[in-house]
Amino acid sequence: MENTKTKKLRSKKGAERTANTVIYIVLIVISVIWLLPFFILIIQSLRGEPGMSTSYFFPKTWTFDNYVRLFTETQFLTWYGNTLLVSVVVTIVQTIIVLMTSYALSRLRFKMRKPLMNLMLILGMFPGFLSMTAIYFILKEMSLTQSLFGLMLVYTGSSAMGYYICKGFFDTIPKSLDEAARIDGASRHTVFIKIILPLAKPIIIYTILTSFTAPWGEYMFSSFLMLGDPSKFTVAVGMKDWLSEENVNQYFTVFCAAAVVVSIPITALFIWLQKYYVEGVTGGSVKG
Amino acid sequence: MASLSLKHIYKVYPNGTKAVNDFNMEIEDKEFIVFVGPSGCGKSTTLRMIAGLEDISAGELMIGDLVVNDVEPKDRDIAMVFQNYALYPHMTVYENIAFGLRLRKLPKDEIHRRVTEAAEILGITEYLDKKPKEMSGGQRQRVSLGRAIVREPKVMLLDEPLSNLDAKLRTQMRSEISKLHARLNTTFIYVTHDQVEAMTMGTRIVVMKNGYVQQIDTPKNLYNYPGNKFVAGFIGTPQMNFFEGTLLKKGEEVEIKFAYSDAVITVPYSMLYKTRPSYLDGKTTVYIGLRAEDISLDPEKVKNSNAVVKVRISHKEELGSETLVYGDINMSGDGYSESSTRVIIKDESDRDFKPGEVVDVALDMEHVHMYDKETEVSILPRIPEYNYLPCSVKGGVLSVLTANIKLPPAISCPDGDGEMLIPTDAITLGNGNDAKVVSCEEINGKYLAELLVGERRLYAVVPQAIQPGNVSFKFDIKKISILRDGKEIISPMNEMVDLDGMFLKEKYVGEQEVNGKKKKVKAVRFDYEIGGAKFTADDETSQKLITVMGLKNAFTTALVFECSVYDFIVGDSGIPATVEDIVDYGSEKFVRCSTPCGTVMIYADKDYSGKIYISPDFTKTGIIEKDRDIRII
Repeated sequence: MENTKTKKLRSKKGAERTANTVIYIVLIVISVIWLLPFFILIIQSLRGEPGMSTSYFFPKTWTFDNYVRLFTETQFLTWYGNTLLVSVVVTIVQTIIVLMTSYALSRLRFKMRKPLMNLMLILGMFPGFLSMTAIYFILKEMSLTQSLFGLMLVYTGSSAMGYYICKGFFDTIPKSLDEAARIDGASRHTVFIKIILPLAKPIIIYTILTSFTAPWGEYMFSSFLMLGDPSKFTVAVGMKDWLSEENVNQYFTVFCAAAVVVSIPITALFIWLQKYYVEGVTGGSVKG
Repeated sequence: MASLSLKHIYKVYPNGTKAVNDFNMEIEDKEFIVFVGPSGCGKSTTLRMIAGLEDISAGELMIGDLVVNDVEPKDRDIAMVFQNYALYPHMTVYENIAFGLRLRKLPKDEIHRRVTEAAEILGITEYLDKKPKEMSGGQRQRVSLGRAIVREPKVMLLDEPLSNLDAKLRTQMRSEISKLHARLNTTFIYVTHDQVEAMTMGTRIVVMKNGYVQQIDTPKNLYNYPGNKFVAGFIGTPQMNFFEGTLLKKGEEVEIKFAYSDAVITVPYSMLYKTRPSYLDGKTTVYIGLRAEDISLDPEKVKNSNAVVKVRISHKEELGSETLVYGDINMSGDGYSESSTRVIIKDESDRDFKPGEVVDVALDMEHVHMYDKETEVSILPRIPEYNYLPCSVKGGVLSVLTANIKLPPAISCPDGDGEMLIPTDAITLGNGNDAKVVSCEEINGKYLAELLVGERRLYAVVPQAIQPGNVSFKFDIKKISILRDGKEIISPMNEMVDLDGMFLKEKYVGEQEVNGKKKKVKAVRFDYEIGGAKFTADDETSQKLITVMGLKNAFTTALVFECSVYDFIVGDSGIPATVEDIVDYGSEKFVRCSTPCGTVMIYADKDYSGKIYISPDFTKTGIIEKDRDIRII
C-alpha cells in the first residue's frame, strides 16, 4: 500500500517534469520564430555591401554607414518628427477620450446605453479603410489633406470605439468605491480623477501603448492623405518608397537601419511603462 | 444628529419590480435603528435610498426638517460604512480617513486633529501610514468606521458592516459599534441579515420581507410579540416551533387540538379574549407558535402543568450551556425535517435522552403565539382590531352588553341574534355605558384600555393613559359590523372614498403684465380630471407626480384620489353628483350620491337633494398610481 502511494507520487513528479520540458521547448521555438526577423534586420542594417539579397547570412563588412546615410541623405528625420508628433498628440487625445468614454459607460446609467455600446462595437469591427474615400473628400473640403492635423483628426476620430477593454477593467473596480467617495463629498469628476484613475494604471498604460503604436506604424491613411508632399510623410509612407523596384538595391540596408530606429520609441515606451503593469493595485480596497 | 422621516417610500425598477413598498417610519434623533430581513427584502435598498445612492421612486424622505429626495449624497450630511469596506486602496489609512474632510476643504490642523482622534477611538493609530491591503478585515472595517465618524455626520448608515468578519471579530465589533453609538450621540441606521446583531444593537428594529415592512418595534417586543409568523420565525434562535392546530371554545375553556398528532390541551378562554371568535370553531386551522424555551422537559414542571403533550425524541444538539432536544409530537415523525409537528426544546438539565424515547413536555401557554394559516398574521395581537360581542336585534333595537340601543335609520338589521364587531378605536370615553377600567397599557405610542362591562371584557384604544376605576364609554355606531352565521349582515361605513381620475397638462394663453402693459402669453397649467370635472393642481404636488411617474407617463396614467367622506366641499362647480339618499347614523348624516366615478358618500352638513357639485379637499387627498399601486401623495 505504502509502496504504491510513493510510486504514484513519484510518477506524478515525473509527469510534471516532462510537461515542463515540452512547454519550454515550445516556448523557445516560438521565441526564435519571433526574434529571428528582428535579429536579421539588425544584422542587415549593419551590412556594408549594398543590395537587397545576398547569398550569405552574416555581412562580409560591418558598418554604421547605413545609419549615417539615413540621417544625412534622406528626409527620414522629418518623417520621424512627423510620426512622433502625430503619435504623441493622438496618444494623449485618444487616451483621454477612451478613459472618459469607458468610465461613463461603466458607471453611468442612461437611456440607450446598451444600444450605443453595441453600435460602437459593431462599427469598430468594420475595417477603417472602408471609409477612406469618404474621409478623404471630407478632409479635402476642409482643406485638411496633406496636413498632419488632418491625419490626427482621422486617427482620433473613432477613439471612443476602443472603449471595450477599458470599460471591462473599470467594471472590475468595485462601485462601492465610487459610492463611498460620493458620500465623502466627491463629484463624479472628482471620483474619476482621484479614485478611478489611480486604480486604473494598468489599463491607462495599455491604452497609451495601443494609442501610440497604431499611428506609429499606420500606412494606409497616411499614404493616401499625404500623397505628393514628402515633407508631410510619416515613416511608414516614406520608407515604403525605398522598397520600390528602382530604389530597393540602393536603400535596402538604409531601410533596415530605419526599421531599427523606428522600433526604438516603442521599445523604450514599453520598457518605461512596464513597471506600472503591476497586478494588485486594488488589493485591500474591498473584501476579496 | 437628526431625525428622519420616511413617508410612503417606494423603490420601483424600470421593469416594474418593486424592491421597497410603502415604507413608513419616523426615526428619532440618536436612535439606533436596525433593518433586518433575508436577502432581497429591500433593507439595503432602503438604506441606499436614504444615502442618496438610489433614486426614490415615490414618497418623501426627510432628514431633519429638509426633504432630501433630490439632494446629492454629499449634501445629505450622512456617512456610510459599506459591507466590503470600500477603502481607497491607493491611499494610506490616514488619507482614507481624511479624504472626505479634504474634499470639504477643512483646515489641515483640524483634519489632523479629527483623524488622530478617530484613530484613537478605533485603536488604529499605529496603522495610519499603512495601505488597506496591509491590514486585516477587522482593521479595515475600523478604518471604514473612522472614515465615517470623522465627518461628524447627522446620520450614520451601516450596510452589513460585519458580514465579512469571522464570528469572534463580529461579536467584538458589535460591542464597539454600540459603544460608538453611545459616544457619538448620532442617529445610526444599520442593515443586517443577522437577527442576533439586530437584537443586540438596535433600539428599534425594522423587520422586512419581499420589500414590505413586517414589523417595527423594540428588540424585546419583537421577540415577545411578533406580529406575524415570519417575524416570529425570523427573530430568535433556535427558530420558534410552529404547529398546526384547531381551537374549540367549550364554555370558559378552549381546546387546542394539534394537527397530525394526538396531542390535545385545554387553556382558559381568558387567554384568547383578543382572538376573533371565528377562529374558535374547532375547524379553522391556525399556526400555534411556541419558543424552544417555552417548552419544558423538567418533570416538576410537567407535573404541575395543564398543557402536557407527548414528544418522541429524535436527537439533540449540545451547545455547552444548554442542550437543544429535537423531537416530534407525531409519534411517526422523524424530528429532523422542519414540519408542523417537529419540536425543538431548550433543555438546561443534564438528562440524557435516547433517540426514540417518548417523554411528556409541558407547554407554557402564557407565551403562546397564534397565527392565521392564510395571512400568517397574529390572531392574538397586542392591540386587537375588534371587540367581538354577542348581540341581538329586535324591532330595530340592538341589545349588546348591558345596553339597548335604538339603531339609526342607516342600519336596518333584521331581527335575530348575532355577533357584533366593534373596532377598538371606535370606542370613546364619555357619556354612555358604564364600565370598569381593569388596566391601561402603552403599546407603541398607543394606549390600550381593558374595560370590564359586567362579565365581558372590552378593549379600547384611548388617546391617553387612564387609571383603573369606573368610566363611561360609547362607541361609533357607523363603524360596527354585525355577523350572523358567519356572514356580515351589517357592514361598517367606509369612511374613505376612492375616485378614479387623471393628471393633465393644459396649455393656455394667459395674460401677463410686462412693463405695465398686459400681454398675452402661452403658459402651462396642471389639472386633475375627476369625473369630467377639472381641478387645478398645486405646483408642489404636480412636481411630485411628474417625478414619480415620469414626464412621459404622468399624463396618461390612471390615478386614484383617496379622500375621507368628511373632506368634500359642496359648491357650484366640481364633480356632478345626483343625491340618491341620505344615510342617517343618528348623530351624523351622510349623502349617498351617484357620480361619473360611481357611488360616493359624503358628509352632509345639511340636507341636500337633486343635483349637486362636489369637490375633494386636495390638501387632504391621497393620490395613488392605480396600475402599479404606488401611493404618490
